[in-house]
Amino acid sequence: MSKAFAFINDKRVRDVFYQAALLIGLAALLVYFIRNASQNMVQAGIASGFNFLWRTSGIEVPFVLTGYTQSDNILSLFWAGVANTLLVTVIALVLSTALGFLIGIARLSSIWLVQAIAGAYVEFVRNIPLLFFVLFWYFGVIAALPAPRESLSVFGVAFLNNRGLTIPLPDAGANLKYAFIAIAISCLLHWLFLRWARRRKEATGRDAPILRVGLVLLLLIPVLALTWASLATRWDIPVLRGFNYRGGFVVIPEFVALLAALVTYTAGFIAEIVRGGIQSVPHGQIEASSALGLRPGQTLRLVTIPQALRVMTPPMTNQYLNVLKNSSFGAAIAYPDVVSLFMGSALTNTGQAIEIIAMTLALYLVIGLAVSAFMNWYNARIALVTR
Amino acid sequence: MSAAATLPTSWRERLFGTPATTVVTLLLAAAIAWIAVPIIRWALIDATWSGQTRNDCAGTGACWVFVKARFGQFMYGFYPVDERWRPNLAGILFALSGAAIVLAPKQLKLRLGLAALVILPFLGVWLLAGGFGLRAIETREWGGLMLTVFISIYASLIAIPLGILLALGRQSELKVVKLISVLFIEFWRGVPIIAVIFLASLLLPLIMPSGIGVDRLARAVIGLGFCIAAYMAEAVRGGLQALPKGQREAATALGLSYWKATWFIILPQALRISLPAITNEFIALVKNTTLVLVVSILDLLGIAQASLADPNWVGMNMEAYVFSGGIYWLICFALSRWSRSLETKRGR
Repeated sequence: MSKAFAFINDKRVRDVFYQAALLIGLAALLVYFIRNASQNMVQAGIASGFNFLWRTSGIEVPFVLTGYTQSDNILSLFWAGVANTLLVTVIALVLSTALGFLIGIARLSSIWLVQAIAGAYVEFVRNIPLLFFVLFWYFGVIAALPAPRESLSVFGVAFLNNRGLTIPLPDAGANLKYAFIAIAISCLLHWLFLRWARRRKEATGRDAPILRVGLVLLLLIPVLALTWASLATRWDIPVLRGFNYRGGFVVIPEFVALLAALVTYTAGFIAEIVRGGIQSVPHGQIEASSALGLRPGQTLRLVTIPQALRVMTPPMTNQYLNVLKNSSFGAAIAYPDVVSLFMGSALTNTGQAIEIIAMTLALYLVIGLAVSAFMNWYNARIALVTR
Repeated sequence: MSAAATLPTSWRERLFGTPATTVVTLLLAAAIAWIAVPIIRWALIDATWSGQTRNDCAGTGACWVFVKARFGQFMYGFYPVDERWRPNLAGILFALSGAAIVLAPKQLKLRLGLAALVILPFLGVWLLAGGFGLRAIETREWGGLMLTVFISIYASLIAIPLGILLALGRQSELKVVKLISVLFIEFWRGVPIIAVIFLASLLLPLIMPSGIGVDRLARAVIGLGFCIAAYMAEAVRGGLQALPKGQREAATALGLSYWKATWFIILPQALRISLPAITNEFIALVKNTTLVLVVSILDLLGIAQASLADPNWVGMNMEAYVFSGGIYWLICFALSRWSRSLETKRGR
């Protein structure tokens, strides 16, 4: 080979060449797809662009939080779906974390039967598809509940039947709003108090009454505020009239089934994360802490849990993101989440496939990125500081 | 805290070691009996086992006659009865070649595996879909467990090679390659699989030149394959990261090119390390195949769900769910046990 072409043996030149070839290849593929898509859309007579969002939707949604009605535009339909997705996600997150911790700790119980039952639960739910649970809860359990006349009553104010869960609804929200503001303020005060207590401890070594102040600020004040608000508010309590309940707010069966499926399924995975996290703490740490004279409760709170949390945070982030993504399984039973309302109903009505798919995927990516950014911040905060 | 290590060994100690343990054990035993006895009565004692139609279902227990009558559909969907030997043959061929690869001497394993990888997928599609001498059977007639297995295998045929490439790309020194791999992986991992299946079924026909149709089952398989590839890539990355850097440096020092070093030195070791993680992703894939139900492709769960609408078999919900759920559980449990045994083997 002549010297003029020797440069192709240079690694840097070849690297640039390969990467350029890859980029050009991908760009060509993309152009090809876009060309086909625009030709196909012209043939099908579909106009592109986001103008369709301001058209009247005409789609009736059985479960709305945002005040959407079918005479609103398609963008409002999108937000109604987003609200439903977020509602089921957040409630499922809280409940599955609680249930998961309970089962995870039960798997480490010194009582064999407790351990065995928790283990059996984990092996059971982890090896069955989530969609199975969604369908099972919806068609197997909720559908088998009694008719409204024979509803299962929850303290005489809420009623569970095959048309969903009817719960009381406050007539006017003003008092509840004040209660929530009071709770927010007391949480803020608690945070400020903890900061002050930590500074003082570092400066003077004196302990602050953290437990007592915490009980007052985080438990007593919220309980009092909520009790006052619920007593001062007139509640619309559901009453049986004829064949169904009137009044109150009806949580549709799709929501109940999806929530039950998400919680029971995710708890199995969270339980394993909790167990792994706790078991990852070396036994020597616990021995050392009891040698220092810490009581078992203190050992758990000050030694075991902080170290277990470090191991647990990254996989928990994954599980939380999974709950967000898995809330879309509601589409299979027509729970009106963003996927079934927007990628389903709105897409069928308008035919704007590309715009609708792009918006839905972007929404999940944005929420997902926000959640992982928060969890990364939290992870960095609790990570081991090596000096 | 690590109770498993300090657990007493004798059963008496385990169940009735201390007074508190005894109380909890007795309470839980009562609760288990309270739940389990009606279930066992329903599923076994009061159940109907023989007969042909709904009228043979007697008593208060389960009516397994329904599962017996519908067994063919649960397995093959609406695949023509006299052609069912074809999926059976395909399954036997896949299983036999799997066994042959496992039992073959070490030197032959790789060659046998590659040969099977090149031949079997095409042979399988030909057997199932027909053409070239076999009766053509459209994919809308496929269904049941056969379809669950088909989607799982073919989606992972896309996912595993693509996932390995993406994992290598993510580790690459070439910035553009790395960026593209990261974007691809994070995109597919960030969106719900159900949305991906919608996306594939709506977008693939749109971006293809008009006149070229993509079969709707193929769309679902491609969508699932891309999604799982992103998860596979992360599993493989774990294996790549676990390899000491010296392995590649040594290979380069020996004069091996990037691809030779990757193929002969890096991948065999990295894949062995990440095999348990890859198996776990495969379990997730098997569970996620059920989502093809949303585009009206009836896999095992879809057939179970569809069978509930049959007016001849009203009220067989529980039987259908118990049967199909049991099959999913057996498959996934066996796979997860296998994955765990791989982990402990490596751990020794």
